[in-house]
This record gives sequence, C-alpha cells and structure tokens, in this order.
Amino acid sequence: MTTNRKQNVSVPFTTHPADQVAMTQVAEPDLIEKTDEVAEHDRPWIVLVWNDPINLMSYVSFVFQKLFGYSKEKADELMLDVHEKGRAVVSSGPRERAELDVFRLHEHGLWATMQQDS
Amino acid sequence: MRRKRNSGPVERIDTGLFVLNLTSDERSTLSGFVDQLEEVVSAPHDDPRVRRLFPTAYHDNPEHDAEYQGYMRDELAQSRRASIETVRNALMSDEPMTEAQLYSFMTVLNSLRLVLGTLLDVDEVDDLDLIPEDSPAYGQAQLYEYLGWLLEWTVSALAGE
Repeated sequence: MTTNRKQNVSVPFTTHPADQVAMTQVAEPDLIEKTDEVAEHDRPWIVLVWNDPINLMSYVSFVFQKLFGYSKEKADELMLDVHEKGRAVVSSGPRERAELDVFRLHEHGLWATMQQDS
Repeated sequence: MRRKRNSGPVERIDTGLFVLNLTSDERSTLSGFVDQLEEVVSAPHDDPRVRRLFPTAYHDNPEHDAEYQGYMRDELAQSRRASIETVRNALMSDEPMTEAQLYSFMTVLNSLRLVLGTLLDVDEVDDLDLIPEDSPAYGQAQLYEYLGWLLEWTVSALAGE
C-alpha cells in the first residue's frame, strides 16, 4: 500500500502542466488526497476464481487453458490452487479487461469475481 | 443408460470432427433437459436455480455489481441461449459435430450440472450415493452423475487426450 502510493506520486503532475502549477500552490494535505485518488485508480484489478463443489477439475483446467492460453501445467496448478486454497487469482489488469475475463468465466459456469488489488 | 464399452461417448473421428456415441433415447433425453435449461436461463433473477448461472461479479462492492449486472446479465443470458440453440440442433442432427459445436455442448452440459447441483445442494463430499432409490432426488442425482461422466469425455475429446 505504502509502496504503491510512492510509486504513483509524481505521475499525474508531470503529465499535466496545469497540475504542475497547482502542485506548487496547494498545501500538503490536499496533495496527498489527490495522490490517493490516482493510486486508487491505477491499482490493477484481479480476477478470482472460487472453489465450488460442482465444477469438474478437468473442466476447470481446460477452461483456464482455453480462455487465458495457459499451458496445461499452469492451468492445472491454478485449478489445484482453487481446489485446495479455496480461490486463485487467474488474471489481472485494468478494470475493463477484468470485467471481460469475469464475463467469459461466467459464460463457462465458473465462480469468478473481481476486486481491486490491495 | 447404456454405454458403449469399446469407445467413449465422445470420439474424434476426423480432423476437427467429433461424433457422439449416444443412443437416440439418450439424445432425446438430453434434448429435453436442454429445453428445460433454456427455461431456467429465462427464469426470474431471484429463482434459486439461476444462482450459479449468473454469479456475482464484484463480491466486495454491491454497487459496482448492480451496475455490472445491469449491462452484462442480458448478454450472458443471450450467450447461454446461443449455446443451447447450437446444442439442440447438433443433437437432432446425424452429422458429426464441429469443434465449436462440441465446445458449446461442453458448456451446456456444465450449465445443466450447475442447475442440478444447486437443486441437489451438492457439497464437497460425495454423498449422492447415499440418496435412497425411492427419494424424489434419486433421478436428479443419477442424471447429475451421468452428465459429469459425459462432460469428462467431452473435455478429453476437446483437449485431444
């Protein structure tokens, strides 16, 4: 969390000249608040698949291979993570991309959800 | 239901084509269940049978989820109906299936298992064998097992195993 914030601090202000001016004028607390918003926006989204008692293990692994182009080994490993640990992160990226992945997983009957990475 | 011993129920016969070694009884029984699945897909949102067909997308944000369901739920229902239509036609035809048709067959079998599994309240432990033969759930449990068997073979055939 702290690390992410530091990495993102200068990004918005260097790309927008108007903001650079603003940066010199605003007080410290405002600056931090603004940076938080940006960090919130930039944090990637992760797609989780949750364990369920219905889907067959072979099916889940096959779907991972088809949807994400994972090797059989990688897909099996993720499937076993889901099975043994209760859930696994199967993809991550911008929000729109994550929504598409969730949709495709739902099309295949997998129990997928998404959340912003913490 | 009768099962062939020498080969599985799903067989790759030629480059990219597949046959279902199912009796006409099995085909018409499956078609009947596919028709029922279509009804379930169109059922009201609070119907417990559709719970697993239309899952939550944002598990920690009901507001985002409502927004997501608003524009994706119909699309998901549409996608399921398209697969159902493909499978219905393929089951009625004597022609071998293409890989795309068999892929739809796979997802439809899985949807049927999701609905049945939800109705049977299937848990991690395999307690379906304990359902007595005179129970109303017995037939559902038999069908659930049958669909699982067929799905395994379908996945194997598509994976080229």
